[in-house]
Amino acid sequence: MSASDFLVLNHVSKVYRRNQSLIERLKKSESGGTKAVSDVSLTVRHGETMGLVGESGCGKSTLARLVSGLMAPTSGEISFPPNASGNKSRLQMIFQDPYSSLNGRWTIEDIIAEPIRVHKLRTGSAAIRARVDELLVQVGLSAADAEKYPQEFSGGQRQRICIARALAGEPDFLVLDEPTSALDVSVQAQILNLLRDLQKNLHLTSLFITHNLSVVRIMADRIGVMYLGELVEEATSEELFRKPRHPYTRLLIDAAPDMDTSDRSLHPIAGELPNPAFPPSGCRFHTRCPFAQEICRNTSPPQKATESGGMFRCHFDLDLSDATVFPPAAQVRMA
Amino acid sequence: MINATAPLLDVRDLTVTINREGRLVTALDKVSFFVNPGEVLGIVGESGAGKSITGAAIIDLLVPPLKRTGGTITLAGERLDQLSPKAMRGVRGGRIGFVFQDPMTSLNPVITIGQQLCDTIQAHLKLGGNQTKKRAHDWLDRVGLPNPDVQFKRYPHQLSGGMRQRVVIALALCADPVLVIADEPTTALDVSVQAHILELLRDLHRESNVSMMLITHDLGVIAKMADRVAVLYAGRVAEIGPVGELFNAPRHPYTRGLIRATPMPSATGEMRLDQIPGAMPGLGAVPPGCAFNPRCFRAEGDCRATIPPLYRQESSAFSCFHPLERVPA
Ligand SMILES: Nc1ncnc2c1ncn2[C@@H]1O[C@H](COP(=O)(O)OP(=O)(O)OP(=O)(O)O)[C@@H](O)[C@H]1O
Ligand SMILES: Nc1ncnc2c1ncn2[C@@H]1O[C@H](COP(=O)(O)OP(=O)(O)OP(=O)(O)O)[C@@H](O)[C@H]1O
Ligand code: SF4
Ligand code: SF4
Ligand SMILES: [Mg+2]
Ligand SMILES: [Mg+2]
Repeated sequence: MSASDFLVLNHVSKVYRRNQSLIERLKKSESGGTKAVSDVSLTVRHGETMGLVGESGCGKSTLARLVSGLMAPTSGEISFPPNASGNKSRLQMIFQDPYSSLNGRWTIEDIIAEPIRVHKLRTGSAAIRARVDELLVQVGLSAADAEKYPQEFSGGQRQRICIARALAGEPDFLVLDEPTSALDVSVQAQILNLLRDLQKNLHLTSLFITHNLSVVRIMADRIGVMYLGELVEEATSEELFRKPRHPYTRLLIDAAPDMDTSDRSLHPIAGELPNPAFPPSGCRFHTRCPFAQEICRNTSPPQKATESGGMFRCHFDLDLSDATVFPPAAQVRMA
Repeated sequence: MINATAPLLDVRDLTVTINREGRLVTALDKVSFFVNPGEVLGIVGESGAGKSITGAAIIDLLVPPLKRTGGTITLAGERLDQLSPKAMRGVRGGRIGFVFQDPMTSLNPVITIGQQLCDTIQAHLKLGGNQTKKRAHDWLDRVGLPNPDVQFKRYPHQLSGGMRQRVVIALALCADPVLVIADEPTTALDVSVQAHILELLRDLHRESNVSMMLITHDLGVIAKMADRVAVLYAGRVAEIGPVGELFNAPRHPYTRGLIRATPMPSATGEMRLDQIPGAMPGLGAVPPGCAFNPRCFRAEGDCRATIPPLYRQESSAFSCFHPLERVPA
């Protein structure tokens, strides 16, 4: 642990217990739940944006809720090492859905003022109102919007309001769970640019979660890739895209269609996403991995550190820096 | 009557209104485009631009408060907009197949997928029982369902999302349509599964040479799949063009804005992200003149006064008074 560590996750797991059947209880079977997050170790440093990507059900939101303290891990520890001033860090979350996360009966002023009141950051209604106006302007809205209600705003404007509300709590840590996934691209670009400016100007530390690799590449300093509850790779943004070390990372990068109309090839990943409640044995990616060997089916791969401070979980040290991996033809069968 | 140069589907001045407590609001405003035989036309635009309504209007699936109030729809020389509801039912699932974003809207949860395929085949093709069954089996195989014999007897809920969408594609194609309308067919799927479905659509398109209207908000999907692209904005056509031209040298400022706002690595590897100010106007709030004028960096007086017409040239068209030069985007 170094002085710049802000958030440390140490072998964190979360199991959602499913109602076990009588038979299962009698057999005391261990399969009674979804291990949504499995043995994740991760460090976020001061002032850094850590990105998390992965397909649906891989445990991103679960990890966000764990980090936010909304629920406790089943095992492992999550800690915020105290900083030099000894202050406890203040955390705010921003969610995907700007529609349901704002109370329609409150004015924008009420909504943004709430964290200010809760944390007693300003006293007196004039000072609070002045702060609300300042925040509205900071997120690209105007002071006149304070009297309106959420229904009067578009999706992008509502997400700006959510951001203003989060900033009102004067957080030093932001957890953003798919903050732009519900927005149109032209509006998403505005919100991403706004968040980037805020990160820079306010020196925020953040955890940025998305399923969109291009978005995370723009936003994050470092990126963690999750697959079926596990963190399979972690590296700086630049390195992750230039030289991925885990086959899933490589295939995920290639699978998303880009805008190059001269190369119209598609790169699906063999097979389907397994049910996260029943992950495959050994390496969880072995049912779809073009490099899988016998050992992958039985033994779960160790975490390996890279020279540059990253990590990956694979039995082999593969060179995956080439643009596209062509799996051995015979193995490309539908699962 | 079809000849090599006539479009298969010709949509002219398609207008759809929404009745909002007696007030009529325009949702589609004189939308015109065509689809050539064997062509994939991509329809792209942001949420609320009118993409789904366009698809639904063609197959007469609009329900109140939506209503088609103008324009013509011609399929292989026949005016679909003049057909009776009964005749249209014969066209839907027959000459026009469709695929929606949520596979469950096209599937009946209490009927086996094999039976659903047989029903569709029987409704549109005159085949005997055994032939129908064989054809249904063949289609399950063609769309890549493992063990078609087993899958035949399964119910939709027993399949994964990706497999369900494969079944819907089989349903859309099993009666040999001339046109398939696919509305966000991969939007609900994960990236790794999305590419499978796109590949399947592409293979089937190559084999059958069916024409396709591929509706999506994802420019990446359009770049890989479409021959030509129509860009919709606030219920109007902003631009139509061959895919390479449209992406590399768009004429309409909105098209370029949309492309540049999409986070994508450029050829040299760096990321770019340019924003368009503001947001697309909601229904009933479209400004006078060009719908894009409050957000457009090229807007002038005429843009605020008059709706620009669709200037046509060969296979492209754009609706703008001050189009961009043909330079790379
Ligand atoms: N409250 C819950 N009870 C039981 N299982 C849950 C619960 N929340 C999530 N899960 C399961 O845990 C797994 C991880 O879910 P999570 O929401 O963290 O994934 P995610 O990566 O955020 O996915 P998405 O991209 O779809 O948002 C999934 O299999 C999900 O079904
Ligand atoms: N049944 C309806 N009643 C009222 N308004 C509707 C109805 N269906 C669609 N609209 C409105 O018509 C406009 C166009 O809708 P449409 O569904 O065609 O958009 P779209 O381009 O498909 O968007 P998305 O990308 O979100 O699917 C939207 O403003 C929408 O709110
Ligand atoms: S451990 Fe084996 S299956 Fe897993 S990613 Fe590495 S090569 Fe593939
Ligand atoms: S007509 Fe005017 S406002 Fe509309 S896109 Fe063209 S230049 Fe911009
Ligand atoms: Mg989630
Ligand atoms: Mg739609």
